[in-house]
Amino acid sequence: MRCLNWKVLANSIDHNRRLILKGAVSSTTLALVVSSGLLAPKRLLAHWPKDAFNAQTLEDALQVLLGETEIKSNDKVKFKVGSPPTYAVNGASVPIEIQSSLTGIEQVSVLVENNPFPLAMNFELTSETQLPLKSFIKIAEDSNVYAVIRAQGKLYSTVRFVEVDIGGCG
Amino acid sequence: MGSVSKDRIRAKLKAEGTTVKVLLAHPMHTGRAKNEAEELIPAEFIQDIRCLRNGQEVLTVKCGTATAKNPYFSFGLIGGEIGDSIEITWVDNLGNKGMAEATVK
Repeated sequence: MRCLNWKVLANSIDHNRRLILKGAVSSTTLALVVSSGLLAPKRLLAHWPKDAFNAQTLEDALQVLLGETEIKSNDKVKFKVGSPPTYAVNGASVPIEIQSSLTGIEQVSVLVENNPFPLAMNFELTSETQLPLKSFIKIAEDSNVYAVIRAQGKLYSTVRFVEVDIGGCG
Repeated sequence: MGSVSKDRIRAKLKAEGTTVKVLLAHPMHTGRAKNEAEELIPAEFIQDIRCLRNGQEVLTVKCGTATAKNPYFSFGLIGGEIGDSIEITWVDNLGNKGMAEATVK
């Protein structure tokens, strides 16, 4: 449709200019509509990082989610798993708590190395959110559990080994 | 852990800010468990949780199947006032949606 208009109006520079402006406006409006959340349900599903959650190894999940696999361990990340720490009777519901002295935290991810799909949860924080974060996750068997924090563009991680009595991923 | 019937939020104002606790009612089936008849229970789990304070998004949680049944999580918010509205919306992998609301106390 637009191509046709272009041809018809090709001899008039004025008209052409108007058309270009019009096109620009309509694409901005579309961008606004999309970002304003009118298409929210679709957006919600589309934004779920499927590849990261379906990755079957820790390395793959980290690579897809964060673009890096080598993340230095850092004691600025405080991470508690299990109750009492490092032990869980029931793997279907293991408490986790993440606390950190870092500022400008953008993202917190929790990964369980020996789960069928390692990535368990991914928190996206804003400037109004602060730690600690607490939640419950499922752990299939004895495993290393990683908490990875992205703060001001840098990645920090902590690992905890957790013993599980009854696996919780069935 | 027993099932809860509906989504619940507790939001409390403390010296260091607002603390929000969220408990959602959802079975969180991984797609690998079997029922009594040895049939696989299809996957059904929450994928995306959004938290809003006074209509502004403050936290997004993406969940995989490894989030425990009846997802619980708590987080802090900087500042806040008594009477602020806290809203949670969630969507699961089947497209089911839920919403809960509370005011800061």
